[in-house]
Amino acid sequence: MPRASATDPRFAEIESHRPYLVRYALAQLRDGELAEEAVQEALVAALESIDGFDKRSTLRTWLTSILRFKVIDLQRRLVADRARTQYDEATVGAEHEAWLDEMFDDTGHWRSPPQAWNDPEAALEQSRFWEVFERCLGRLSSTGGRVFFKREVLGEETDVICRDEGITQSNCWVMLHRARIALRMCLEQSWFGTEAPRGR
Amino acid sequence: MAADEPEDLNCRNASRLLSLACERPLNAEELRALKHHLDECLMCTNFEQQLNFLHKASRVFRTG
Repeated sequence: MPRASATDPRFAEIESHRPYLVRYALAQLRDGELAEEAVQEALVAALESIDGFDKRSTLRTWLTSILRFKVIDLQRRLVADRARTQYDEATVGAEHEAWLDEMFDDTGHWRSPPQAWNDPEAALEQSRFWEVFERCLGRLSSTGGRVFFKREVLGEETDVICRDEGITQSNCWVMLHRARIALRMCLEQSWFGTEAPRGR
Repeated sequence: MAADEPEDLNCRNASRLLSLACERPLNAEELRALKHHLDECLMCTNFEQQLNFLHKASRVFRTG
């Protein structure tokens, strides 16, 4: 993928927000290639108009506002495709139960019990934690990751997410539940597990 | 999404309720069963705290 003028010293700073912006675009567009396209266009536009950036907002907020317009453009192309996404209620439910069978034993106990995390607040201050967080988000299934991102990161209401995704409320809940379990497990394995005391 | 075993939740059902509580208020029966379970289960108590953390971290992630 072509990158905007990489010699610009502000390039690296803008570029560092790319993973977040891709997630944002993905949450809206539901298409990896389109999301990358929207972000690429937004970053190029940002570099071209960086002088117009006033420090009253954070760089991320400013970049997101540019991206939002790119996303709206691309969404127009997607309108015709919206109705094609259909999830079968029973299939999702059965698949979810099968996944939970791997998380819990026959008596319903955690196979990988959640540990007490040591000072999670401190992690929020560490840039390495956010790399891990980003990576763990990326490991979620595409639909689950998108639903989780809309719900928890963007703070959208669950019924709005269900409607936009074309899925039932109970499937929405199921996907969020699964995403939360998967994310907490990933963070425990990749971050907290290495230093947290083993509370059990 | 009612619990299968209202009197005696296992971790599978308790965690489901904890996640559900992020989406809608639990009813009295769900709350009672959940509290009963959490009183005795450190693992699910850890899970509850982790859900709170995921919520907070996601919001921080948004604002960068």
